[in-house]
Amino acid sequence: MVRSKAVLLVFRLVLGGLFMYAGVIKALDPLDFAQNIRNYELVGQSLSFIAAIVLPWLEILSGLFLIAGLWKRGAALVISGLLVFFIVLTVVTMIRGLDVDCGCFGALSRKAGWSVILEDLAMLAMGLVLLLKERTGTRIKGT
Amino acid sequence: MSEARRVLRQALVIGALGLIAAAAVHSPLIKRFVRGEFRESFFQPAEYPGVRMITLAEAEDLWAAGEALVLDARARSFFAQGHVPGARNVPADGSGSAIPREILDSPGDMTIVVYCEGGTCQSSLALAKRLHDEGFKDIRVFSGGWEEWTKAGLPEEKGDGQE
Repeated sequence: MVRSKAVLLVFRLVLGGLFMYAGVIKALDPLDFAQNIRNYELVGQSLSFIAAIVLPWLEILSGLFLIAGLWKRGAALVISGLLVFFIVLTVVTMIRGLDVDCGCFGALSRKAGWSVILEDLAMLAMGLVLLLKERTGTRIKGT
Repeated sequence: MSEARRVLRQALVIGALGLIAAAAVHSPLIKRFVRGEFRESFFQPAEYPGVRMITLAEAEDLWAAGEALVLDARARSFFAQGHVPGARNVPADGSGSAIPREILDSPGDMTIVVYCEGGTCQSSLALAKRLHDEGFKDIRVFSGGWEEWTKAGLPEEKGDGQE
């Protein structure tokens, strides 16, 4: 059980920070990220472009909300959803035997593989803890 | 409103804000996309002077003349199964492998031909960009790649070439 407020705060800052960082890097070079998405050979040119434009901003905003402590559970839901998607995507990519750059952290990216999955799982654990344990804050306290 | 619906609504609003932010920040890029750019490639040649696409015929001529350095950007296993004779393997995608020192030490104006599998493969272009960033000034991307080369019945060489 994660009860300590300090732990939740650390999770929020770490997870929010990582997502903001990853988002900003991609938003700075959307065409490069679009090519990364295209390399996964799942979607075509147009969808790769649209995803490359939108995805970084989902990461930036959800990270920002999480750090700011506003709509924490909503932000944790977006982040957890994205992470589940990334994990499935990486597993599928490994099964297909594709040799692609994960495209996750700009220059710090590496081949989509086990290390990426482990990293995503660790982040997903933090996201789920936040999703389940944080309070929305606007509810009347009691129980 | 139930707690779950509240959280879901927050998530949807964050998603909508993301869409708005993306549309606002990248509107110049989106306009170019709407006008028809990036439908074939996300590559912007103006940002990479010295990098250009070549056809099979040009690739074959350059190879036959023997003056260009030919680089195969595919994974090692594919390279070992067959490659353009004399080509060096520099897997470009993901594996994070560095460009070998002896290639980096070559003269910057040397002609370099890069290729990958063909079709939609992008690792040759990725390698071309890296070579450009390393200062090379004449990089030709043979986009038809290995597929076109073998279909044309041109010579092949097997082995990993790491002698």
